[in-house]
Amino acid sequence: MNSNNGNGRVWNTASGLHLKNFYAPDDVPESHRKHVAVPPGESPFHRGAYPTGYRTKPWRIFQLSGFGKPEDENERIRFLLEQGETGFIMEHDRNTGDHCYNVDHPDVVARREDVGLTGAVMQSVRDIDICMKDLPLATSYGHAGGAVVQHAPFALAGYWTVAKQRGVDLARLPGTGQSDFFLTYLGCVTKQQIPTRDGLRFNADIMEFCDKHLPRWVPVSIAGYNGADTGLNAYQELGALFANAVEYLEEIKRRNTMPLENAARACGGVNFRASMDLFEEASKMRAARLMWQQLLERRYAITNPKVANLRIHCVTAGSRMTYQQPLNNIVRGTVMALAAALGGVQSLGVSGYDEALSIPSEHAHQMSVRIQQILQEETNIQAVTDPLGGSYYVETLTAELVERAWEFFDEIMEQGGFLASLDSGWLHERAAENQSEDFRQQESGEQVIIGVTDHKDDVSPFDVDGFMGVDDAYDVALERLHEVRRTRYEKGASQALGALESVCRDGENIMPAMMDALAAEVTLGEIGDVYRSVFGDWATPIQT
Amino acid sequence: MSTAGKRILMAKTGLDGHWRGPTVVAKALRDAGFEVIMIGMARPEEVMQASIDEDVDLVGLNIGGHVDVAVRAIGMVRESRPEVPIFVGGVVPPHAKRKLEGLGVEVYPPGSQLPDIVAAAVRLTGAA
Amino acid sequence: MAVSQQSAQDTDQLLERARAGDRGALARLISVLERGGDAAACVERGLSSRGAAGYTVGITGAPGAGKSTLVNTLLGEALTDAGRVALLAVDPTSPLSRGALLGDRVRMHSHAASSQVFIRSMASRGQLGGLAVATRSARRLLEACGWPLILIETVGVGQVELDVASTTDTVVVVLNPGWGDEVQANKAGLMEVADIFVINKADKAGLQATRRDLESALASLPMERRPAIVETVATEGRGAADLWAAIASHREAITLSGELASRRQQQLRAELRGLIDARLEAELDQLFASGGADTQLEAVGGGALDMAAAGDALLRELCRRASAAIAG
Repeated sequence: MNSNNGNGRVWNTASGLHLKNFYAPDDVPESHRKHVAVPPGESPFHRGAYPTGYRTKPWRIFQLSGFGKPEDENERIRFLLEQGETGFIMEHDRNTGDHCYNVDHPDVVARREDVGLTGAVMQSVRDIDICMKDLPLATSYGHAGGAVVQHAPFALAGYWTVAKQRGVDLARLPGTGQSDFFLTYLGCVTKQQIPTRDGLRFNADIMEFCDKHLPRWVPVSIAGYNGADTGLNAYQELGALFANAVEYLEEIKRRNTMPLENAARACGGVNFRASMDLFEEASKMRAARLMWQQLLERRYAITNPKVANLRIHCVTAGSRMTYQQPLNNIVRGTVMALAAALGGVQSLGVSGYDEALSIPSEHAHQMSVRIQQILQEETNIQAVTDPLGGSYYVETLTAELVERAWEFFDEIMEQGGFLASLDSGWLHERAAENQSEDFRQQESGEQVIIGVTDHKDDVSPFDVDGFMGVDDAYDVALERLHEVRRTRYEKGASQALGALESVCRDGENIMPAMMDALAAEVTLGEIGDVYRSVFGDWATPIQT
Repeated sequence: MSTAGKRILMAKTGLDGHWRGPTVVAKALRDAGFEVIMIGMARPEEVMQASIDEDVDLVGLNIGGHVDVAVRAIGMVRESRPEVPIFVGGVVPPHAKRKLEGLGVEVYPPGSQLPDIVAAAVRLTGAA
Repeated sequence: MAVSQQSAQDTDQLLERARAGDRGALARLISVLERGGDAAACVERGLSSRGAAGYTVGITGAPGAGKSTLVNTLLGEALTDAGRVALLAVDPTSPLSRGALLGDRVRMHSHAASSQVFIRSMASRGQLGGLAVATRSARRLLEACGWPLILIETVGVGQVELDVASTTDTVVVVLNPGWGDEVQANKAGLMEVADIFVINKADKAGLQATRRDLESALASLPMERRPAIVETVATEGRGAADLWAAIASHREAITLSGELASRRQQQLRAELRGLIDARLEAELDQLFASGGADTQLEAVGGGALDMAAAGDALLRELCRRASAAIAG
């Protein structure tokens, strides 16, 4: 009963929910008990998206893996596939990709050594082709990159164009992109980006295009992860994620160009963060499934079980990986992965243990895969679906998270919706508040991080020096850019670019013109220039 | 001496937009009485120009990428304002930390506590 | 005193270098002006009275109105005409910590490394009017160093912003759609201050209503004194050329009508008063800090002296000190 026992310490979850010493049957709210009895794979799905859980569908091992030149990244992806990764993520260089710059843009030239540090430079379909060399496109689940909204149409069209050139039927092509508002407008605000309303248009365009041409593709993936790693707590992450989904669904409803159920299905592949509060994070995944079902039924009268079962990709919290004593992070990665697995996620990426030091080294990448393989193969965790289901504690926590998350969702709606809460900076303030509170708690000793606030003096026998990246990414990218410009069919490229610009201005679906532009070897920077002239810049509500 | 009227320039050398860390640091410095001039993601020559025009007492660089970009910014600032101290935070791998410290720059990697960063600013600006 | 002779020499040298185009020297001198005191007075002495060459435009509006972004696009237009532009961007000082976050440069990357643009962020350092004490002096310094156009960006709308008007030749007030209530609430202040209204974020809902509110508020003014209303979407650069044209035409109108000359006269008055204010305040601070008021404070506290008499005594002492400072 008392949340304040044992040396006067207050026991809370990471998001500040009060915890009791132990939980009893009466603690589980009456209204929640009926959900507990429903087996996995049945609505409201809080006990699992699929009836047989990991027995038939083990979670997908899905690691971020980009750096260097396209051929370096290709090599790393193939290495990971050999290690047992079951999907792959193409990571584009963020200096060029996020901003839609070519490497000869002055802002990139000024930081030429950064090029290739966070992903491979892909400025034209030729680069994407190199990066995708010999990858099993038709059979494995590919992530085309394009995490930032303005970059997504290029990244997706590039991937699809290469797949088409290889003779893969787009109608059968599996995979995903991201095009995430949390990353673009909250977590990692680029120096220049299209305004949120144009971003919403891009995402709706992608959803429409996939609905017509790529039915097996998950067109967008809302990544609460990026909100959480910026400071949103567990229930804020949930509430904001579904507020984001509502923006997409309302836009599709307004357009009335595709069945709303299809759009809901498209939005139902989401991305959450798993952090260190083991039970709260596991409960969060369960709460998310319940909330999605509730949202669709209550707001859109959608009950189709193929649509209402939320599929979750989960990534462990990069911000919890410490710079100090980095090998400790292997333990942290394991605990966070366990939280995700106990929560029943469909795919998982574990941050590299050297995340706070540099981009992941090959060894860190391998460990991220190994952690998941050990959990899958050695712990018997896959045998029983929703192993925490029915726990008085976990069910109570799940119900409480759902309740708090809907409250936060309502607060966002009162702000005028998710986009408005980004435009005004309201959501940024919520994240920053929590961040300041974290710092305060670390100073006061309420929050302990081993190796950072306590036990600072361990000496590791292993030297982790940080991955250096590759030296020639910029030079090679520049050379290839010149080569594309020199050798492409110029008239075709300029016509395709002109057509793209008209579409951007007229408001038609951007994707067919983007496909043509990629096929005509129009480069990323040229496309970015069109965006900048047509859409201008988002009025960032934060000063950094 | 006090922090009143002491001016600190805060810049990000990379194009990576993680704003959380630098913002928290900037607020802590403001609360300690500094005037903090934020310039966001800035090229080395922009860092240099701002350090001149804003007549700052300290330059803080958040680095999110390759250390050589920061090294270039440091070189340009030092060329025009050799007397101005510089400190660095962000994702700084050990090899980069050694390089920066070799240049006489103080480094505050992830996990550094705010009071330590503020104390460094007080010391480096001579406000102590 | 040897020290102040030394600092006079230093500031003279700095001034000479700044006039010759050394931006580092210019920046240092602004800091000297911000710190106030003897050294600032030295700089002031080195600035000749105002020539006709410089023109100053004030841009003011509530936080979040998009001023910095607007100024960024306006700089582009202004550069084409004026060739070189200086900007003083003033943000509030936190009353608790006396620190400040000055973030205007974040939105001004297009001009961040240009030799034709000088940007200086200033904290208000406790001044209610939205302008730092040193802003006026800094403007005079910039003019003396040959900057033909000076923009001054300040936070806030309403009565407290009146001193923008007493410092600049053309005042631009930035509003957003949906601010009808604010227009009503600050009607008197806005009318008095604004030469041009900008409705920024003109792509947002509520544009027409705000425009109507503004027009009806302005209807009582004679036609020739009615401020222009310009619509902009600063994030897309839309309307910047219109705004620059409105500024140019206001400048032309007040130059021809002779109003510019009378404005400048008012500016001089305000500047001179401000200067004396600041120096007296510094003396007063010094008087209290050094214990010079202790006798009177004790006497008042003990009931031996009344407040008015104590005030008279201290005012006399203040004047004595001020005279001594000038003589020294």
